[in-house]
Amino acid sequence: MNNIYIYDGDFISLLNIILYLLKNNLHPENIKTDVYHPSLFENTIYLSILKNEKIIDQIISAFGQYAMRSMYYVFLSKEENKELILYYFFQNALKRRHKIMYYHNLKCVSEVLRISNYVRHETHKMKGFLRFKELEKNILYAEMEPTNNILFLVSCHFVNRLKNEFWVIKDNKRKIISIYDKKQFVIVKEEEFKLSQKESKGEQNIEFLWRIFYKTIGIKERRNERCRMNFMPKKYWKYITEVKEEL
Amino acid sequence: MELQEKLKILADSAKYDASCSSSGSNRKSGSGVGNTAIAGICHSFASDGRCISLLKILLTNCCIFDCKYCLNRKSNNIKRAIFTPEEICTLTLNFYRRNYIEGLFLSSGIIKNPDYTMELLIKTIFLLRNKYHFNGYIHAKAIPGASPKLLKKLGLLVDRLSANIELPTENGLKLLAPNKESKNVSQIMEYVKINQSKKYVPAGQSTQMIIGATKETDLQIMSKSANLYNQYHLKRVFYSAYVPINKDNLLPSLEHPPLIRENRLYQADWLLRYYNFKVTDLLDVKNPNFNILIDPKADWALRHLEEFPKEINTCSYNELLKIPGIGVKSARRIISSRRNFTIHLEDLKRMGVVLKRAKYFILCNGKYITNKEFFNKKFIERNVMLEERSLIPTNKEQLRLF
Repeated sequence: MNNIYIYDGDFISLLNIILYLLKNNLHPENIKTDVYHPSLFENTIYLSILKNEKIIDQIISAFGQYAMRSMYYVFLSKEENKELILYYFFQNALKRRHKIMYYHNLKCVSEVLRISNYVRHETHKMKGFLRFKELEKNILYAEMEPTNNILFLVSCHFVNRLKNEFWVIKDNKRKIISIYDKKQFVIVKEEEFKLSQKESKGEQNIEFLWRIFYKTIGIKERRNERCRMNFMPKKYWKYITEVKEEL
Repeated sequence: MELQEKLKILADSAKYDASCSSSGSNRKSGSGVGNTAIAGICHSFASDGRCISLLKILLTNCCIFDCKYCLNRKSNNIKRAIFTPEEICTLTLNFYRRNYIEGLFLSSGIIKNPDYTMELLIKTIFLLRNKYHFNGYIHAKAIPGASPKLLKKLGLLVDRLSANIELPTENGLKLLAPNKESKNVSQIMEYVKINQSKKYVPAGQSTQMIIGATKETDLQIMSKSANLYNQYHLKRVFYSAYVPINKDNLLPSLEHPPLIRENRLYQADWLLRYYNFKVTDLLDVKNPNFNILIDPKADWALRHLEEFPKEINTCSYNELLKIPGIGVKSARRIISSRRNFTIHLEDLKRMGVVLKRAKYFILCNGKYITNKEFFNKKFIERNVMLEERSLIPTNKEQLRLF
């Protein structure tokens, strides 16, 4: 029978389950969240394991900060079998310990590197491409549809950047919202938070000025559509103030 | 004049400055507005594919100078405008809050005299930093000829300072920018170099050269760059392909800006700074210009084929860096990996090595990847050129060469 292990979608739960499987020498066919629909030949197993929060610190001291962060980034990715990749990575890391990230010849390591870099790069891009609107009462509001689940990472950036503002960032793909109140941010489901979308009085004028700047700053003798698209892929344009009209 | 019209005029006048980097500074957000990211962040990309990271504007496009190549020269009959300090603050803060930009890049034409212009720049940036508590990135142009006292003041307010040397040789400058003196620019660079610290110009200084407006060779240009990096510890030298804006018998008549040449210069610039190449490795009096068809690193390798193929598992870091298709990151990965295991061919791709380029120049575990018979200059050159051709934009500059 093909055993599919089910976890609740939380990163720490996943790490605990992986550790449990490895300790007990159990080989999963896959590990999935509880929304997974198994096929006829698959056997789903729910494990009731104590959620040990300390596992994060344990991993950092055993495999290093870099390995830990890479694992978390893989967890945030849209990769289909990310849980299984993390399982194999964990398995090998127990042998190689701190040196694990050097083993590019192991498939699980190169996969973890590839996927975590993808998530890191998208986060970096979003730090630039996210566009806020000013709503009434001075609230800044932005929407995005990133490929990976980067709302948490993006929010961490804006906690420092826009420290003294109220802001709200919405991930339209996952229907989750991050809300910041000048002290800390929380991530909630879309339906748990209602916000009047009315723009502030000056908003249209500022957007207009920004579009003027954007159009002016390009040198027409150097026009290079391919280069622009490489750096700023069309999938992000929908929410970028200065280019969404070009879509 | 309306703010939007001013913005249009003064962004248009500023667009030929190539620099838009926002890296190198680590300002923390306190009680003020914003912070900076040490790696810099690009917020948008203009229609020419160049990154937009900063609000790049001139304070004014009024100018007492008459540099032949410049849009804002005194003798051009164009609309002139000047921002008030408050207007610049409003634009910067509103754009910054909405995450359009990382900060401000403020330059200016010379109005009245260098000191007066510099004082206006300082007044504006002082307001932004101290009245509005702006902690974002600020890059300002230092005005050549202004007094050191003002240079000191400005440097304490900004993250990066730059003064453009404009043309790679003294003769070029005399010809096209008769009002400018290169010694004024080097004085600024010297001053910034001596005083640079966490408080004073934390992100260092940069400069820019126009490429193709005068007859300098790539050798002259690269020698100048190497000199600037060594002498003044510049963070960056920017190369700006000459865009024919003005008509003048002293200026060349080009149909297109020399973009491929500009690209080659940037590639070579990286080789100087990160790959331990020297200008004399890349160019000499017999070959004073880069090959337009092959990038400088591959070109160097083809001229030194006797040093190749190199064994990935044994050659030094420095040797790895000289292999086309291997960059700083993959070279470091190779070094740290091979302490733990022997590298095989299939591992190389996973380490970020561009195999389709590197394959001609390496041995992996004693094995040459393609047929050893093909290890000759002609064959490799042809293949490398075929690959590059798809990367070179098709325009007249290229066609002329065939």
